[in-house]
Amino acid sequence: MKLLRLWLLQIRYAATRELMFRASFFVWVAVELAWFVLQLAFIGVIYHHVDQVAGWNRNQMIILVATNQLVIQIFTAFLMPGLSKLPELVRTGKLDFVLLKPAPPAFLVSTSHLEIGPLANGAIATMVLAGAVHGLGLHPSALELLAYLGLILAGLLVHYAVLMGLVSLTFWIIQAESVLLGYYTIFHVARIPREAAAGWFRIVFTFAIPLLLVANVPASTLIRGLQPAATLLFLLSSLLVAAFSTLFFLFGLRRYQSASS
Amino acid sequence: MTASLRALPAVFSLGLQRQLAYRWNYFLRASFSALPLLVSWVFWGAVFQGRDLVGNYTFAGILTYYAVMLVVEAVSQPSDDDFQIATEIREGMLNPILLRPLPYGLYRAALFAAGRCAYLVAAAIPVSLALVLLSRATDLEIGSLNLVHGLPALLGSALLQFSLTLCLSLCAFWLLEVSALIFLVYALEFLAGGHVFPLDLLPAPVFAVVRLLPFAYEYWFPTAALCGHLNDAAWKAGLCLQYGWAFFFMVLAHFIWNAGLRRYTAAGG
Repeated sequence: MKLLRLWLLQIRYAATRELMFRASFFVWVAVELAWFVLQLAFIGVIYHHVDQVAGWNRNQMIILVATNQLVIQIFTAFLMPGLSKLPELVRTGKLDFVLLKPAPPAFLVSTSHLEIGPLANGAIATMVLAGAVHGLGLHPSALELLAYLGLILAGLLVHYAVLMGLVSLTFWIIQAESVLLGYYTIFHVARIPREAAAGWFRIVFTFAIPLLLVANVPASTLIRGLQPAATLLFLLSSLLVAAFSTLFFLFGLRRYQSASS
Repeated sequence: MTASLRALPAVFSLGLQRQLAYRWNYFLRASFSALPLLVSWVFWGAVFQGRDLVGNYTFAGILTYYAVMLVVEAVSQPSDDDFQIATEIREGMLNPILLRPLPYGLYRAALFAAGRCAYLVAAAIPVSLALVLLSRATDLEIGSLNLVHGLPALLGSALLQFSLTLCLSLCAFWLLEVSALIFLVYALEFLAGGHVFPLDLLPAPVFAVVRLLPFAYEYWFPTAALCGHLNDAAWKAGLCLQYGWAFFFMVLAHFIWNAGLRRYTAAGG
């Protein structure tokens, strides 16, 4: 409860800071929208040549990609801005100010910043998603919608785990800005239909780093109804990877040496 | 001018040292760059299930396209030159550079070349490993590479990408924050440059328009030329457009630089 109150305070402070740069808000909405259009254009080109990919038709694939976009945008709004600043905090020694506060450092680092622009893009992704659901004539039940929202939260945990794990490398590598590129790159996996993957690729990205589940399980819940086994697997694995990466962050933190005098 | 040229090797060496100061950061960046190839292998494998051709591409053909594009990227894609230039302008760090008898464009070109050389070294192991693993999974059409068509197109791509980067980052004379503009152009480059899919998979009328834009000559054209997908006439026409766009952006960068310098102020030592 105390952490929730603290988070709401951080959001209020970050939102005030963010609203000082209103033009930047519109520009970044345009940038993120362009990247989403790029993904939709890719689907358009693929389905210009084929009718289905791994059993997914065009509208189903749009649900998959829009779900992935929704998770990314929520993550980019609330958690990513803070996490991506960790390398700089470590390099400049400004992490001292975080460590002095009476709250878990992983929590403070990840919730310290907010971006409002991605929320607008999340809304656009939701509209595209609704259009594809309507196009398929689907009528998800309240339980399925609730499960979908819960699975989106699990997806956020996986994003948190991957980025937290990557930025924690900054405790060993002086300049670790490239890990952000790694984060963007590795999440290409989340846009692939799970049925397309086989062998070690499927095992690694389902059980070790559950990227294949991030958009697939919620999208399948909308398309094919609630799947208890996949849902349970995803919830468990997302909690596990989030816990593991937080431990990794704490392990790295032991190496941290303040740069201040 | 001769003095400027004599200084270039020193600037190149400085650039190399600067890039290699953070070796792990560089190595990680290069390693991550090979990951999309793995994703393409899985995704396109599903697209090709039950069919031999998509557009004019076989499964091996499309994977060869993505594999060759990794090399094109390594040779011609600027790493963080755009952000470095914008920072130099915003933070008033141009002063020591302006005092030197060396044109800024040449100075940045030497640093860009150093960055590409360092990146090629860092990327050699992960990219080769990715190519070896991929060639064990499928028969890449590496044997049909056309170096005569490919190498001039590769050089043209580097020139084009460098000059476009210069134009974008020099906007920092007027804008406080250019990163949004840079990311917007990245998106265009990825979509209309053939980074996400080969442009000849587009419907014919769209492809006809897209191949007139500069973005097509950053990735798609050099990759298609190297893969041997272009006949002589298409290659010559493409090369003219590619070098034409590169020349256009260099001239534009020159004008932006001169106009920007008139606005530039920096205080302090």
